[in-house]
Amino acid sequence: MSEIGVLEPQGRPTRTAAFRCDAITKAFQGVHAVNGAGFDVPEGQITALIGPNGAGKTTVVNILSGAMTCDSGREFIGETEVTNWPSYRIARLGLFRTFQLSRELGGLTVLENLLVAPAHQAGDSLVNVLFRPGVIRREEREEAERALSVLDIYGLYRHRDTRARELSGGQKKLLEIARAVMASPKILLLDEPMAGVNPALIELIGGYILDLKQSGVTVLMVEHNLNVVEQICDYVIVLAEGRTLATGRLSELRENTEVVKAYLGEVIDAGPAH
Amino acid sequence: MVYYVFTLVFFCFDYFILAMGLNIQYGETGILNFAYIGFVAIGAYFTGVFSLHSSAGTGQHYILGLGLPFPVNLLLGGVATMAFAFVVALITLRRLRTDYLAIVLISLSLVLYDFCNNFVSIFNGADGLYNVPEPFAKALGLTVNSFIPFFACVTAVISLLMWFVMSRITRAPLGRTFRAIRDDDVVAAALGKNVFGMRLKSMLIGSFYAGIGGGLLIQFGGSFNPTAWLPGETFVVFAVLIVGGAGNNIGMFVGALLVETLLIHLPAFLPEIPGHPGLIEYFDNAVVGMVLMVMLWFRPQGVVPARLRRTSSFGVIARGDDASPTVSAHIAVESPLTGHE
Repeated sequence: MSEIGVLEPQGRPTRTAAFRCDAITKAFQGVHAVNGAGFDVPEGQITALIGPNGAGKTTVVNILSGAMTCDSGREFIGETEVTNWPSYRIARLGLFRTFQLSRELGGLTVLENLLVAPAHQAGDSLVNVLFRPGVIRREEREEAERALSVLDIYGLYRHRDTRARELSGGQKKLLEIARAVMASPKILLLDEPMAGVNPALIELIGGYILDLKQSGVTVLMVEHNLNVVEQICDYVIVLAEGRTLATGRLSELRENTEVVKAYLGEVIDAGPAH
Repeated sequence: MVYYVFTLVFFCFDYFILAMGLNIQYGETGILNFAYIGFVAIGAYFTGVFSLHSSAGTGQHYILGLGLPFPVNLLLGGVATMAFAFVVALITLRRLRTDYLAIVLISLSLVLYDFCNNFVSIFNGADGLYNVPEPFAKALGLTVNSFIPFFACVTAVISLLMWFVMSRITRAPLGRTFRAIRDDDVVAAALGKNVFGMRLKSMLIGSFYAGIGGGLLIQFGGSFNPTAWLPGETFVVFAVLIVGGAGNNIGMFVGALLVETLLIHLPAFLPEIPGHPGLIEYFDNAVVGMVLMVMLWFRPQGVVPARLRRTSSFGVIARGDDASPTVSAHIAVESPLTGHE
């Protein structure tokens, strides 16, 4: 694990980075969506990734999770370089994500959505399917029991046998987080988990994210709601025009004129964001 | 009469096998394989050349001619089809999805058809393979008439065995991963699933079924030539799948019974329309096309829709649907966002 000091006041390196990226760039037909962004995300903390629309936040999340390759730059999970690895290999290192627009596996039931998530299932092997049905049955029963517990926590228990496409928008947001939790993540990237959900659900999701932190999961979340950021995030990374503008605590960043000019100023002028 | 009935029985069970193969590729994994009939043909031809003895003096031109007994030739025909599918999948599945994949595969089907039709030295060109030995006919002393009921029953037994295996695959986590990839391959990859590897696996399993189905065709008829697998025949298998209900193995049997048996083969046994010999058979594709349109419009899920896997099927007992105590606890505790209850 590399030591980082950039996010600590007075530059004292006290935490290790769960993952980091250096000078990553991504252009779409000549337009630079990400233009040299680089930051460290501290282990076991909740870090917010904020910035104005078009700052490149979702592109960064896509690159970090392997859904998209970068044109240049490097990414690391711990000490392992994972630059331009495919999603499934990154996921196998324990980094999972949710999506800005919920992407449920619509034809599967809610319970099955969770059962897809666990890594290294014996039942994914054709040999085991054909010759070791007992092992698979036992594993399925154990995973189903665990999945039901997770659904219970996330308030989706009674929807367990419903097709995921039939859930409401808020329930789909919860399902995405529950599915990622079922994968036993070490690192979780949440792309606007509060977008389009009602205030009560925002509180609920916020609580779940804090629970994840308590259980040792490192969280990086793209978020526009500064109340949420202030209340649950330990650190903040500000992106603007594809670059890392600043990092630190939100209270410190409010004093940063560049940040205020690029992002916070608009929001503060417009009143508290919800 | 017995001949007619058991011919229908044979085609019903053979198309049941073919439809199960296409179902795992398209119905379960979302691979739009418009070259499916090409894989069936590869299975038929290889089963034929594994079964036939050397071509010297037969008036035919073909490769191998190993003279292997049934069912060794059939199994090897299935394996040869998998090998062909492996090469095709390596080229196509890594980068292509949905309609682009379909376009490339239908093109492959046309190229393969022209190749087999015109390149005589591999599978005897347009004449195709003939005089393929009838399985067990000599050993059991079967006549032409008694072979048909016998082989229809053999095909039924094989199809039931293959249904058992396919059910095990589709009910396992492997089948669930296929369906996850069908629904959203980006999500599946983000959950650690090797999408290309899984699609390759699905392609190989489906191709084995195609190869076995094709092999049974050539063993039943004793011959196989390009007129039996015009590229449009792929859509008959798709019709079986759509009418039966994509994603349901039982639906594949119902689809095979309704489409292949009742719509395609039964009319061939109807009396001729006076003055218009062979006219009924020409209506086959038109009827299948109309049935497809009606099904897609009024019942896209098919006659036997895909079943949901409910909690009880995982061997766990679910409690009632009461409000979750854990969630209630979350709501009741001090809010982390507002600092009050």
